[in-house]
Amino acid sequence: MSLEKAYLLLSILMFLMGFLGIVIRKNLITILVSTEIMLNGVNLALVTVDKVLGRVDGQILSLFVLTVAAAEVAVGLGLVVSIFRLKGYEGSSEIVHLRD
Amino acid sequence: MDWIVFGTLAIWLICSVGGAILVKNPVHSILFFLSSVLATAALFLSLGAELIAGLQIIIYAVAIVVFYVLVITTIPWEKIKKFEGVYFKELSIGFPVVLIVFLLMGYMVVKGEFAQSVGKIEDNVREVGKTLFTSYLFPFEVASVILLVAMIGAILLGRKEE
Repeated sequence: MSLEKAYLLLSILMFLMGFLGIVIRKNLITILVSTEIMLNGVNLALVTVDKVLGRVDGQILSLFVLTVAAAEVAVGLGLVVSIFRLKGYEGSSEIVHLRD
Repeated sequence: MDWIVFGTLAIWLICSVGGAILVKNPVHSILFFLSSVLATAALFLSLGAELIAGLQIIIYAVAIVVFYVLVITTIPWEKIKKFEGVYFKELSIGFPVVLIVFLLMGYMVVKGEFAQSVGKIEDNVREVGKTLFTSYLFPFEVASVILLVAMIGAILLGRKEE
């Protein structure tokens, strides 16, 4: 097994651990952190395949993933704060209505 | 030597990711996430992607983590205590599913073949910059619009209602 395959296995494991974090946690902030971990795993896979192929397109795509991650954090944390301000709680099992 | 570097970084990364999804306190979870971001930046450096490693540290480890900590300080702490923790029913279902998916994808990665390499990159940062400002110029400009829309959305969401 070559070193690049080990890198790909590590990125798959990182993505799946982030997915498990989204499934099992109750706190909305920890769920957002798990989303960031999934995006990091995707970035690692893109850069690894870039090294294998000898191109730079994957690194540019991971640059755009970083942009989307920053935008997602800004909007997501704004949503968390406004959910808390409107309803007074923030657990993923309690937010089941779109309006109150 | 490459394997030693990779093994150390991989163990660091897996430990910090596991800590980030399993500890109870959100602040501790964010600190574990910061550790995993640093490990990922080191992995990028070991892959020879210097620009992405620097951006990873600047954007994730500085901007995003500080933003999370600032938002946590605005939320009253004692009321979210009861939502710390783990859904154990979902864990008992989700963990075998994740394990099976990892085994399947790992089998495909181990048995599969990579595509043919098309060349070797001499200067990584220069190549990234050249490609970004020639082939990918329009997506690069669209990314700035995405950031602007996200900024306006965050301002509108965080505004106090009169």
